[in-house]
Amino acid sequence: MARSIHPRVLAGRIVVAVVFIGLWEGGARLGWLDPFFFSRPSAVMSRVWQQLAEGTVWPHLGITVVEAALSFVLGSVAGIAAGFVLGRSRLLGDIFGPYIQIANSLPRVVLAPIFLLWFGLGIWSKVALGVTVVFFIVFFNTLKGVREVNPVLLDNARMLGATERQLVRHVLLPSALAWIFSSLEISVGMSIIAAVVGEYLGSTQGIGYLIAQAEGVFDTTGVFAGMVFLAAFVLVVAAVVGRVERRLLHWRPRPAETPQA
Amino acid sequence: MPAALQFSSVSKRYDSGYEAIEGISFTVEPRRFISIVGPSGCGKSTVLNLAAGLLTASAGRVEVFGEPLAGLNRRAAYLFQQDALLPWKSVLDNAALGLELRGRAPDAAQDWLRRVGLEAFSTRYPHELSGGMRKRVALAQCLAVQPDLLLMDEPFSALDIHTRLRMEQELLDWVGTAGTTVLFITHDLEEAIALSDEVLVLSAGPRSHLVGRYEIDLPRPRPLLDLKTEPRFAEIYRAIWHDLRGEVIRALGDHPGGKAHG
Repeated sequence: MARSIHPRVLAGRIVVAVVFIGLWEGGARLGWLDPFFFSRPSAVMSRVWQQLAEGTVWPHLGITVVEAALSFVLGSVAGIAAGFVLGRSRLLGDIFGPYIQIANSLPRVVLAPIFLLWFGLGIWSKVALGVTVVFFIVFFNTLKGVREVNPVLLDNARMLGATERQLVRHVLLPSALAWIFSSLEISVGMSIIAAVVGEYLGSTQGIGYLIAQAEGVFDTTGVFAGMVFLAAFVLVVAAVVGRVERRLLHWRPRPAETPQA
Repeated sequence: MPAALQFSSVSKRYDSGYEAIEGISFTVEPRRFISIVGPSGCGKSTVLNLAAGLLTASAGRVEVFGEPLAGLNRRAAYLFQQDALLPWKSVLDNAALGLELRGRAPDAAQDWLRRVGLEAFSTRYPHELSGGMRKRVALAQCLAVQPDLLLMDEPFSALDIHTRLRMEQELLDWVGTAGTTVLFITHDLEEAIALSDEVLVLSAGPRSHLVGRYEIDLPRPRPLLDLKTEPRFAEIYRAIWHDLRGEVIRALGDHPGGKAHG
């Protein structure tokens, strides 16, 4: 079930890309932009191509993918579980509420050096950083989803004989799924950002490490090439999440049925 | 056989301090169709939720088939006023929800879907159905678990008048053949008389109490299309309205502007 893109939208997107890249390339060639600071799209793409051809980028990309995937999975599972428990129990919600707010208000970047000390230069310090980011996004959305379940649906299922476990499976989880999914989309991006930031601040491998290395020698082309790899990766993951979401939420009225401009 | 439902001097005071009902006593014998009518905000739904076990009484006793009610009423099914179908389940899965939760086969649900005329819509989702069709699915869901008592909270109030008349007629046929005991809540006196064996009139809130109890001796089966023009129907209507009128006026007087609530 692929969403078809309106030709006008597609044309608009291509125009934006062509104008942006054209101005950048032209500006650099005509000397308006200093290639030392801004590089050139053609140079960036040839660097991307070179890194792909030589295969040097794959181990780094692989490390970043593993870190992001681990923090995404661990963070969302913990966030969904905690959201359900605190959403269903007023008492626990009231007890832990303020502490979760406090923990969430911490800027994650200041935690990164601490995680480096605790978990070392390897992947686990990045995973820990990513989990602290993903957990709260998923947790707050799950909590809201669970608390905003239509009480009539709950009463109806209970009158039909549902146990608490059955309520979770048949009513609460499907009902909160729309909320959870909107948080997962954001979390995918955030888990990648957290992995790269973690690598940037201290590591020996990963896309963030590549970017930090390139910056260390003022190699702007290398920095942009790293960003291109990240962008491609994020687009692929977002498409996968979108597919899974449409599959699991197939019962919803199709957006195509609502009038569109 | 003990009464399907018995209220003995039941009162309900909410945590907010609002006293919804006070000293209500009535009995629902098996296989009878009992309606409760009253003005808006009179605590009709409170009575029904007490019978369902969704609320607990502050004073008095609620008994179900001779046993004091503790927790949810396991022998009752509840047809809610609002839409209570799960939007993520198909029509058949919704109708079979009660059976699935009890670990039983969905055959009875299929059977009821056929009886309510929605067999062809089994694989559709609730948002693809009209309001009347959704009510039928909800009714099939309730009846599929073969409840000893069916609780209904103004189930047809949101339907247009023709759909409503048809649903009322079908309801009479279905519960008649299944021999289901029904406690029905409505603010529509005509509907109450047309469907019931007995009509209870509740006073305006707060502290609602029963102000009247009327045996409806219209013969069954009742063809609803012609029933309302019969002289006996008009007679009963006049007698009950005499009681109800005063309560409606009191309810309106308490809420200038006639704002309905609850």
